[in-house]
Amino acid sequence: MDLINRYLQAVKFWLPAKQKQDIIAELSEDLRSQIEDNETELGRKLNEAEIIDILKGRGRPILVANRFRPQQFLIGPVLFPIYVFVLKIVGAFYMVPWILVWIGIAVSRAAHSGENLIQAAGSFWTAFWPMAFSMIGSITIIFAILERVQVKSMFLEQWDPRKLPPVRDPNRIPLSNSIAEVVVNIVFCTWLIGGAWYQTALHFSGVNITLAPVWRYIFWGFVLIALFNTAASAVNLFRPYWTSVRASIRLASDLVGGTLFCWLMKANILAAMSIANVAPEKAAHIASAINWWSAKMFPFAIVACVLILVINAYRIFRVGTSVASGIALNAATGAH
Amino acid sequence: MTQGTNTENNGLLENLRLELRRGCLVLAVLAELRTEQYGYTLRKGLADSGLEVDEGTLYPLLRRLETQGLLASEWREEDKRNKRFYKISRDGKLVLKQLLSEWQGIGKSLEEILKESDHGSH
Repeated sequence: MDLINRYLQAVKFWLPAKQKQDIIAELSEDLRSQIEDNETELGRKLNEAEIIDILKGRGRPILVANRFRPQQFLIGPVLFPIYVFVLKIVGAFYMVPWILVWIGIAVSRAAHSGENLIQAAGSFWTAFWPMAFSMIGSITIIFAILERVQVKSMFLEQWDPRKLPPVRDPNRIPLSNSIAEVVVNIVFCTWLIGGAWYQTALHFSGVNITLAPVWRYIFWGFVLIALFNTAASAVNLFRPYWTSVRASIRLASDLVGGTLFCWLMKANILAAMSIANVAPEKAAHIASAINWWSAKMFPFAIVACVLILVINAYRIFRVGTSVASGIALNAATGAH
Repeated sequence: MTQGTNTENNGLLENLRLELRRGCLVLAVLAELRTEQYGYTLRKGLADSGLEVDEGTLYPLLRRLETQGLLASEWREEDKRNKRFYKISRDGKLVLKQLLSEWQGIGKSLEEILKESDHGSH
């Protein structure tokens, strides 16, 4: 009987306060009735092992007690998918960039001031978790509040099918994107050529700049890439769908453009500079500071380029794999 | 078929079986409690009719049905022990009648569906 009392006491601990006595009295009665029945059947008292078997058959006390509790949740099944979606968005557009920027800073520090990378990883660890926890915690609290106020029922009841977004085709290139790309590339080209940026000696507003000879290669590289991208975007205007070939061409042009940009960062591009009414030593100092900062930005440029290339690579993968699903979607929506 | 797949299928079948029984259980309990009984005898009665229910399922269900006004209960002494006796209420009887007709409707529909699929498969 001691085992039974201990079992009932353990169940009682987890029961809702208001019903503790009532539920435990009923469970106790059920348990004793079962033992009595078994004893009548066997014609003797049950031994400890048999009582243990009965108690084990009923389950762990906390589980038995939980069945008498109403179902409780912080964020319910209606809001949960939206909660997960918001967490993913925050992860992709806040935490991942935060990590990338931090890596850029750490690498740059290690390269320029010789800071230990392990120390840097340690300071990252201590900085990241408070940020991540406070971000995830705040979102969780907001959704827990939304779960408890009436917003959920308004969200469920007040909706209009006409306001649902149109069927999205990720492989379709928006017209606005193509127009913007054509305009930006033409303006960039016009600015480079019209501003005579192909020279290595530049004079404007009392500032004389001499660029490193390597600038000529970088300049013509930029011009060619801009012209090429203008043509490619113009094609996209009339054939607004990514194909494997066009997505691969975009990857190649971005790879070349990114390489040129990273090269520019590291090239110590300002060979000499003189500024009217500024001492030559000071102008030289400014030129070297610009080169130094440009070189410091190199890791960020690398990270940005890698990100762009990953997006491009994913686009090629998506175009390749979406043929079958595209057919399925068209069949489902009745599109041809 | 591998052993792993067999175990998965058994688990799935068990879940589906429990889901199917859950709906029927309310009906069985209401029907059984047309005669007043206490928890343990009710559980035995259901088991004897082929519907085994563990106490962790039955007692919370009895409380829920009582809160919903479909059952009435009272503590009474029997054989020198305090027992809680349950009986279907007037509302419970009405609901039982409606649920039984729904149950029979579902049975008929299923029979029709199964008949149609039998025809389709031949």
